[in-house]
Amino acid sequence: MPPSIHPVDLVATLRQRNLTPAIIFLTSRRACDEAMQSFERSQVVLPKPQQEQIARVLTQVTEQFPSIAEHPLIDTVQRIGVAAHHAGHLPSWKIAVEELMRTGSLDAVFATTTLAAGVDFPARTVVVTQSSIRKARDFTDLTASEIQQLAGRAGRRGKDLVGFAVITPSPYIDLTVLTKGLTGQPEAIHSQFVISYPMVLNLLKAHPREQIQSILAKSFAQFQLNQRTAVLETKLDGLRAEMEPFGPRVCSDWITQWQVFDQARKRKKPRGPSARQESPDVAARLHFLTPGRVVGLVRGRGIILRQYRSKGQHAPMVTLLREGGSLNECPASIVTQVFDRTFDCEETSAYPWCTPHTLEQLTHHLMELPPRLPILPILTHQHEDIPLDSSIIQTLGDFACPSCPSRQACQRDFPRASRVRQEIQRHMKSIQALQTSLWHRFQERIDVLERFGYLNATAQLTADGEWARLIRIDHSLLITELIRAEAFGAIDPPLLAAVMASIAHDDDRPGSFPRGSTGLVTLLFQVRKLAESLAPHEDPPMLRADVAALTERWVADQTLTWIGLARLTTMAEGDMFRLFARTIEFLSQLKTLKHTHPSLAESADRAIDAMRRGVLEELP
Amino acid sequence: MTTKELEQVLLQQPVSLLHRLARGRISRHFRSGKRKLVDLLIQASVENRPGLESDLAALIEEQSHRHQTAPPVETGAKPKTHPRPAASPAAPRPHKAEEHGHHEPPVSLHEWLSGIGVPQAQPFVPDAWQVDALARLAETDVVVSVPTGSGKTYVAIEATRRAMQDNRTVIYTSPLKALSNTKFTEFSRLFGPGQVGILTGDRREHAQAPLLIMTTEILRNLLYDAAGGEIDVRLDTLGLVIMDESQYLADPERGVVWEETLIFCPSQARLLLLSASIGNPQDIADWLTAIRPTPCALIRHTKRSVPLRAGYLHPNEKLTPLFRTAGIPYGQPHLLHPEAKRLFTEYEEDTGPSRSR
Repeated sequence: MPPSIHPVDLVATLRQRNLTPAIIFLTSRRACDEAMQSFERSQVVLPKPQQEQIARVLTQVTEQFPSIAEHPLIDTVQRIGVAAHHAGHLPSWKIAVEELMRTGSLDAVFATTTLAAGVDFPARTVVVTQSSIRKARDFTDLTASEIQQLAGRAGRRGKDLVGFAVITPSPYIDLTVLTKGLTGQPEAIHSQFVISYPMVLNLLKAHPREQIQSILAKSFAQFQLNQRTAVLETKLDGLRAEMEPFGPRVCSDWITQWQVFDQARKRKKPRGPSARQESPDVAARLHFLTPGRVVGLVRGRGIILRQYRSKGQHAPMVTLLREGGSLNECPASIVTQVFDRTFDCEETSAYPWCTPHTLEQLTHHLMELPPRLPILPILTHQHEDIPLDSSIIQTLGDFACPSCPSRQACQRDFPRASRVRQEIQRHMKSIQALQTSLWHRFQERIDVLERFGYLNATAQLTADGEWARLIRIDHSLLITELIRAEAFGAIDPPLLAAVMASIAHDDDRPGSFPRGSTGLVTLLFQVRKLAESLAPHEDPPMLRADVAALTERWVADQTLTWIGLARLTTMAEGDMFRLFARTIEFLSQLKTLKHTHPSLAESADRAIDAMRRGVLEELP
Repeated sequence: MTTKELEQVLLQQPVSLLHRLARGRISRHFRSGKRKLVDLLIQASVENRPGLESDLAALIEEQSHRHQTAPPVETGAKPKTHPRPAASPAAPRPHKAEEHGHHEPPVSLHEWLSGIGVPQAQPFVPDAWQVDALARLAETDVVVSVPTGSGKTYVAIEATRRAMQDNRTVIYTSPLKALSNTKFTEFSRLFGPGQVGILTGDRREHAQAPLLIMTTEILRNLLYDAAGGEIDVRLDTLGLVIMDESQYLADPERGVVWEETLIFCPSQARLLLLSASIGNPQDIADWLTAIRPTPCALIRHTKRSVPLRAGYLHPNEKLTPLFRTAGIPYGQPHLLHPEAKRLFTEYEEDTGPSRSR
């Protein structure tokens, strides 16, 4: 049996059962395009009237967006009444497909799941072929909300009496995920509040520092933190109530008194060298044996993947990736040297304790390591007992409080009372952390901005801060630092647009490499260096050279057509369009600096004008 | 057998076998998907690898034996004898086995497919929740959380119309430029082209119109500019802010923009948040009530305006209902249609070997 139903058969079945129009969600753009290709070979042909209707709608849309007229897919769509809709297409083409769906001229649309969140056009039937989606390289199960968003497209109000969500299996489907998602409650949403540099600058511009804590307290993030606090507080109340029967005794703080006594008694107990105690060498190293750390072994070297305690003996153990790629579980004492070198290691909770991708990378790194590595000097602490207070030792014999009336009660209650008190303290600490975490993060940002000179010591905006707060986009720190480093001194519009494009583009789909000019290469090199130096404070952008070069061509060569540009790269048209739209957005932020940086703003303005032509002009 | 080989072998087995293998080894194993189950099994086998391997071998043997002697599975949907119970999402489920399903014969394909068609054209009557939302909006801020396709746009349009009649400015934000553009076209058609403006990162038209459509980022920037004291934006005449797709509040990258916008939104403007179904809309309403002078009402319902049915289409083009009931049995994912269940198990067994990622 085939692993999944053939697209042509799928549409035929839907047609036969009167389940069209349908949206068919596929895993990738490629799958959508391949599904369309399989139709090109098929013999299916629509009846004439429907073909004419499609043609009519397309002509209408073409009036608004002339670029569609030449679209290579038009014939196929007209002949078979099926289209693909995904982010690789130009927005104008997507609008055309949406319009066709809205007028009911198409029988089916192959779409990627990104559609579910974006534009909304309904259908009678939705076909789901997957239970997970690709999110940042990895596949994650669809959430109930996402599944309901997908299924929600089924059933057009006023046009359908019922809607259908049809599941058809493909190799990577997990039916349970889908049935649970269809029948379950959508997930609760959680605040994703992050404090960005422009936010700090803008808040400090409008409000004195003292007021800001109260503004942050108005965020949904704080609201949800407070909800968690409330839960902790009820627990805390419970614990306090549990403390009550132990009530005040003769001494005001009998628990602490007993704690001292308890510790002293334990300390005084003769204690032989315990077998479980690891040697001081190993104990000192343990802190450094973190995932990703390169260590020297008796023979060869390895990378730590996890540290754990063996069952039973509780001996310190490590999982090692050794040269040659084998994974070993060994006692921690096997490590002879700890090197001053760690690699990123994305941990997982099950064997092999890191993601397959990490494992692959680490194996690679391990082979590439230079023969000599700096060794971390590790100080070993010898266990040394702090001498006890002599007064306690003296009284230990008949401690505590021999004459105290509550002695017996204290002795009886101490273990529980001290445990409850520890719990109370832990809860209080977490409550405090929850209440102040946002403010702390804000303070951290202030510190960084102060160090770079956007704020003065009293957290007021400096001259640089005044204009820097107008840059309210991702990677704002990199952009403002570039401006301050005069990297854009008297920059040409093409170069400026190119650099902005490389900062703005955050997609890692591969593209081919049109060559940039020498000026661009040098400039990008500088930008990359600066971005790396800012890495502790701001995640560096991808700074892809190919998208920079592509943008440079488009701006510099005014005779270049969109088709000509598309020939230079393997990027999808939709991706190119998004790249340019985002670049224009970044450039228009630079345009707002016209008072402080007139030549830069002027250059940005000219770059925008130069970019807006052809497809980019016609489209909203 | 090395761990790698064991993993390969496990991955080739049908899920049902893995669950049997997991019995007694892993607690709550029925909650995990196949991949997770294999990982857990390998993890659990650290202690007793030979035991796992021998059990696995026995199960595989048993299965292949059963395959040879298995009787032909019955096919075809059973005829319908009883009317199915109305599936109500809020129904309590104390005796689920008796109430739904196992005594009740599963829905037939014919019944499941019946009722396809176009409803008769009726004069448009707004739903009760739509009327309610609009009434509440006269007094308070409103959060609307309803399933996709329930008619949130109607509420937005009516609210806009009423605000514009009072000569108040309306701002409509959406998360995506594409959506902004669609809305711009749609609203221009409704209210007349001069009445609608659009502001996005790279487009600016009719910026002085009484109804402005923008992306949320632009509104956030306007509010910051206003707070910094440099621009006019007619914030004092701003009467209504509509935020479409407010579930973006939880977007990892952009969610913060929605929060900033809501925190700084002028207090005299009414807020109308339109969101798809989410789990905790009450939290959002409570939050807005806490930070804004006007209280915030929540309009929420989970019933779809067009009923939804779920089906299963096998690669051999055989279509069956997915659940025993025609509608979706909310809260009871285990009520699978026996036919769908059988076909899917068959599918998993057939495609098993190719299912290693």
